[in-house]
Amino acid sequence: MTSLRSVTLQLLERLRDDSVDVDAEYVVAPSSIEEAAGILAAAAEAGIATTFRGSGTHQGYGNPVSADLVVTSTRLDAIVDWQPDDLTVVVQAGVPIGVLEAEIATRRQTAVLPEGIPGSTVGGAVAMGLSGYRRLRYGPTRDRVLQVRMASGYGKVVMGGSPVVKSSTGYGLPRLVTGSFGSLGMIGEVTLKLWTEPMALATVEVVDAAAALNSVYRPLAVIESSEGSFVYLGGPEAQISDQSDRLGAVARRGLSWPEPLSEPILLELRVPALHLGTAVKWIQRLGAPRWIAHHGVGIVSGGFEEFHSKGFSAARAWAESVAGALVVTSGTSESFDPWGSPPPSVEIQRRIKHVFDPAGICNPSVLAGDI
Amino acid sequence: MDAAAELIELLGAARVHTHPIDRQIFAKDAGVSVGDPAIIVLPETTEEVAAIMRIAVRAGSAVVARGAGTGLAGGAVPAAGSILVVLTRMNDIYEVDEIGRTAWVGPGVINLDLSDALTEVGLHFAPDPSSQQSSTVGGNTATNAGGPHCLAEGSTIAHVLGVEVVTSDGEVVMLGGAAPDLPGYDLRGLIVGSEGTLGLVTRVLVSLAENPPVVATMLIAFDDINDAARTVSDIIASGLVPAALEIMDNSMVQAIENFVKADLPLGAAAVLLAEVVGHADGVAAEAEVIRGVADQNRATEIRTATDGAERALLWKGRKSAFGAVAQAAPDYYLNDAVVPRTRFVEVLEEIYEIADRHGLRLMSVFHAGDGNLHPLVSYDAAEPGMTEKVITASREMVRVAVAAGGTLSGEHGIGLEKRDMMSQVFTADDLDAQARIREAFDPDQRLNPGKVLPEGSRCFDRPPR
Repeated sequence: MTSLRSVTLQLLERLRDDSVDVDAEYVVAPSSIEEAAGILAAAAEAGIATTFRGSGTHQGYGNPVSADLVVTSTRLDAIVDWQPDDLTVVVQAGVPIGVLEAEIATRRQTAVLPEGIPGSTVGGAVAMGLSGYRRLRYGPTRDRVLQVRMASGYGKVVMGGSPVVKSSTGYGLPRLVTGSFGSLGMIGEVTLKLWTEPMALATVEVVDAAAALNSVYRPLAVIESSEGSFVYLGGPEAQISDQSDRLGAVARRGLSWPEPLSEPILLELRVPALHLGTAVKWIQRLGAPRWIAHHGVGIVSGGFEEFHSKGFSAARAWAESVAGALVVTSGTSESFDPWGSPPPSVEIQRRIKHVFDPAGICNPSVLAGDI
Repeated sequence: MDAAAELIELLGAARVHTHPIDRQIFAKDAGVSVGDPAIIVLPETTEEVAAIMRIAVRAGSAVVARGAGTGLAGGAVPAAGSILVVLTRMNDIYEVDEIGRTAWVGPGVINLDLSDALTEVGLHFAPDPSSQQSSTVGGNTATNAGGPHCLAEGSTIAHVLGVEVVTSDGEVVMLGGAAPDLPGYDLRGLIVGSEGTLGLVTRVLVSLAENPPVVATMLIAFDDINDAARTVSDIIASGLVPAALEIMDNSMVQAIENFVKADLPLGAAAVLLAEVVGHADGVAAEAEVIRGVADQNRATEIRTATDGAERALLWKGRKSAFGAVAQAAPDYYLNDAVVPRTRFVEVLEEIYEIADRHGLRLMSVFHAGDGNLHPLVSYDAAEPGMTEKVITASREMVRVAVAAGGTLSGEHGIGLEKRDMMSQVFTADDLDAQARIREAFDPDQRLNPGKVLPEGSRCFDRPPR
């Protein structure tokens, strides 16, 4: 930190964020994207490893990063512009998912962000590319990030994408940034596409999730878990009762999602939807006491009390053999890469990292292939 | 050995063209710009495309990809002296996974052929640009093509899971795949919509949509186009996102009727086509909402078609629009700016005013539901000064859309047409970030040079030291 100019030190001092208790020399909370860009410009100049933090709910996801500077989104906490009649919202990165969803729910709208983590921030969910249970019906989160404003790793404010629901105007920066784990800079603000909640919602318990997936048109989700198999429906009452008849079961009003996994070690098998059944068998064979499978999507997540490197390696080898992946999303072990084999495009990925973060200061090595 | 000789050795003389007539044929797409390729090649395999790229690297030639050439923004217009890679022969549907609802296809597969091939298994490829009878999946991928049904389904980007790409140095690399959230950056998401500037797509893994059990298409007539526009805004504001919401103005209705006899109401100032799909009860409820909103906005006629033949006729009218235009005048110019749905009515008024001011004739179809304007000027390019006048008016229309909080292109792409308008929506720093992306994929600017980004976009050459 001694390499910083005094003016930068004053800036860091002024923006100090005392609400967060982490082991780093400086924890700062910029109150604008411009300030975040100023901080990153200084950090890049001085070569200071920097990490980003929302509400800190997913700190164990990705390769561990040691950073001297932590930039938080605590002060970027405004819902900037909600246009309910256009089904879009501009929101700053530090807004908790629960706060955004509660606000837009007043007009029965939803951003379809992950359901079980209301304290997590919008910026965190976008940075990690997190999607919720209703992905089957509404697609992944990345399909709804229309525009992004960020502070780049080279210290500039950069906007990409378009403020409207349909665009073919320039490169898809929002898609690049979604799931980039803060390795290219700090997300400051996103424009999200919204959906209106269906007129009625219901949860139906079924025996065979895979069969249920094909017997109703576009359910919100089909989830098989250690708690049972459930189909989630949305639409007019008459549609829901007809669809639950077709599933041969009684609909419970509302959407009751499985209890979120909270074991110390969490992993996901991500495979082509075709192989989901096999992925479930793998998770069961690994002895996960609790697990959740997303039918039609191709993700099975499992919660474990202990790390089983040998078993995890075998499951990973299988997943990669079907063009999938096994990713540890919490409780990383030093002897086990959380991502697995680097993607075939690792060279291009490296160059992308380099052009956005030439000094290599943004969450160094957080991604697969030490990017 | 020069590049042409090497290419002939690779592909045989029948798949390499350098004759001036061939070069002229392939010099343009369906838009107004004209280029000048040096060599046109027709590869049939990924390996051939990679070998072509390596020859281009050695020769220092630019490489431009082309599908069916139906693009309107000049994305496939070849730079002078370039090697034009026509991918239409790579048109195999390799494998269809009915359970995972995906298919691997060649970039040359024609959009509609893909959906037709899937009818028996009850699936379809959702993007349905008006060009779908001739445009290719590769071209759709390059432009992030849309179409009427992208309102609810999303554009091509939402339906491409993975791409096999030949990079600017001739390597073959797979981006994305059938599994969700693969580790690393979403480079697939960059390739889609990059207009051939980041890599040549040689295979596409598409996701397939389930054919809906019930479909209702509604034709709604209005005496005032603003009532039609307000109906669309009000439907979206009600929270309903139908499968499609398309507005045709009176001139277009007349032209279509002359052309295909789709039984459209000739006297209407505007016709709205609304389609709702899904479960029977859901379709009935949504149709009821649309009917109510249309009534409130003084609809003069509402017809609902649920049987396949009637619906097909309504859509045939809409999809024949661009063919129908040819009767009015030999040329047309069409831009595809987008506005927020809440601003649709006022922007539409301004657009007709601009056309009036320039003494131009608009015949328009709009993807109204997603705010995607399609003001189409029909004109005769042989008339001196006419093309310039049309382009001037069209640029004014785009400016109005941008001023209303919109953007340059909804589905055609930037290409050459809107390249120099990019600074209307992006700052120098924003464009620099996009130029960095291009630099990461194609440091030598070999791929489709001069497209998408205005010259000088890469304005900050070195990071601060």
